[in-house]
Amino acid sequence: MTWLTWRQHRAEMYALGLLVAAIGAFLLAVGLQMHSLFPGGAGQCTGIDLTEACSTAIRRLNDEHGYASKMLNLFSLVPFLIGAFFGAPLVARELEAGTWQFAWTQSVPRMRWLAVKLGALGFATALLAGVFSAVITWYRQPMDVLDGRFGADAFDLEGLAPAGYALFAFAAATAAGAVLRRSLPALAVALGAFLAVRVLVAGWLRPNYQDTQRLVELVAVGDPADVGNPRMSTGNHLDWTIASGYTDSAGRPLSLYDSAAMYSAAEKEGVKFSAYLHERGVQQWVEFQPAERFWTFQLVETTIFAGLAAALLALVVWRFRRRVF
Amino acid sequence: MTEHALQTDGLGKRYRRTWALQDCSLSVPSGRVTALVGPNGAGKSTFLRLVVGLLAPTTGSVEVLGRPATDTPQALSRIGFLAQDHPLYKHFTVAELLRVGRSCNLRFDQELAERRLRQLDIPLDRKAGALSGGQQAQVALALALGKRPDLLVLDEPMASLDPVARLEFLQALMGAVAEDGMTVLFSSHVVPELERVCDHLIVLNHSRVTVAGDIDDLLTEHRLLVGPRTTADLDRSGTVVEATHSERHTTLLVRDGGAPAAPGWQASPVGLEDLVLSYLRQPARKEVAA
Repeated sequence: MTWLTWRQHRAEMYALGLLVAAIGAFLLAVGLQMHSLFPGGAGQCTGIDLTEACSTAIRRLNDEHGYASKMLNLFSLVPFLIGAFFGAPLVARELEAGTWQFAWTQSVPRMRWLAVKLGALGFATALLAGVFSAVITWYRQPMDVLDGRFGADAFDLEGLAPAGYALFAFAAATAAGAVLRRSLPALAVALGAFLAVRVLVAGWLRPNYQDTQRLVELVAVGDPADVGNPRMSTGNHLDWTIASGYTDSAGRPLSLYDSAAMYSAAEKEGVKFSAYLHERGVQQWVEFQPAERFWTFQLVETTIFAGLAAALLALVVWRFRRRVF
Repeated sequence: MTEHALQTDGLGKRYRRTWALQDCSLSVPSGRVTALVGPNGAGKSTFLRLVVGLLAPTTGSVEVLGRPATDTPQALSRIGFLAQDHPLYKHFTVAELLRVGRSCNLRFDQELAERRLRQLDIPLDRKAGALSGGQQAQVALALALGKRPDLLVLDEPMASLDPVARLEFLQALMGAVAEDGMTVLFSSHVVPELERVCDHLIVLNHSRVTVAGDIDDLLTEHRLLVGPRTTADLDRSGTVVEATHSERHTTLLVRDGGAPAAPGWQASPVGLEDLVLSYLRQPARKEVAA
């Protein structure tokens, strides 16, 4: 049974292994170059007063590695590829070719057949996704230190989350294949589900994994004030800012219209916007997730996707148990 | 060894709202070759899949080799199954398929399987997809026989084969039966070749069993009666299977065990093919006790 699993899925293993290896080799090459911009570590180049060397390094980072963010956003489909290419043919290929009748009438009961396949291919999925995210976590290290780890090009590709995404894609593709009985439509359905759930979780659930912290303070004369967005600092540039805004001196929130009106008034009076706000006792606030919550958030995110994967696989097990094929 | 290799009681299978098989009670004697005959869509494949444990019944029960049909390793190891169109992993070599047989079975007679394939000049290093249809069927048969099953179930094994491959397949199958003495159950909708190979017959029509029995018995119990044309209600005794009318004559297929014919009527024996066809032509829902 183990041999059969290997023989049937080795093409996917080679192809996906090669994909992860190629990404790893490329990131290693450009990553070493990027890491060498910060001989003493990027940690020395944070804060407001930068040394000459740090300014140069950061400028070169932006010039020479500015494509990194776009590239990494593209890579967020890699966990899908890993999981779905293992999952889609797992059941569907047997149903398409009629070989299920051969496979499940040997002396291996179908539940055991399923357990071995899900176990082996699920493990391969998690392993490949784990290697992938380990490489990216290493590659992004200077960027993490400078920009934080909560951006879509960081959080979605580092730590545990990619393994969770890949397992979810694996389960979705397996379940779709078991229901639709075709590999290719299963792949398409899994992609739709993957994108929908990823967007929903990242945009809607993730900011609320823990209650946000809130800072409120009087607008200072020298602050960089903006009409809708006070750009108030949380004290740590690695924190994840969720929302920010202004309230008047009584604590009522200022609408965009109110602040726009104040801005024109400040223009008319010829004073700086921030000074105008300061005079009227306007307060600025920011809601944020502190940087040190990164691993808690990773854990929650991974648990959500692993839980969804488990539910989908339970559906597959249920269909197998009922012997509906 | 039980007398019946297979026994079903009120067996039925429903897919959503349509019944693929209904109220099927029959038994298949041990050590015999039984043919399951019926038109396409009669429920043959469903029945066979229920027997080998690929499907779970909606109603009724199946008992295979003295035990309820399940998919435990022990139950599976006693059954060999050759599905319709003999599905194989097309990109596996024949040798790899044999390895699948070895690694997925409690007992697998690799030597027997290899010997069969060598006798047929089927190269072991060839991919299954590159073999002819007849050779693929032979590989599938060798894999099923390699399990040394007590019950061999074949679903339309020759449907997709050309006449030469068909003959070769039958020879291989009968050779194996002669060697091993296992029970064989196979489905077919091609009647002529049955007579040569099987000794028990089950006719399935409209998802129900219409007739079942030993072929010799069936042929003695049934006969054709030819007499003057009449359209009166002929089936008073319930023995008429089918009545056909020509311009001047009426031909009846009766199952009366050879009772004396009415005056003016001539009796003659019936061939297996005519007998099967008569049962297959029966309209839905008319049941004849086996």
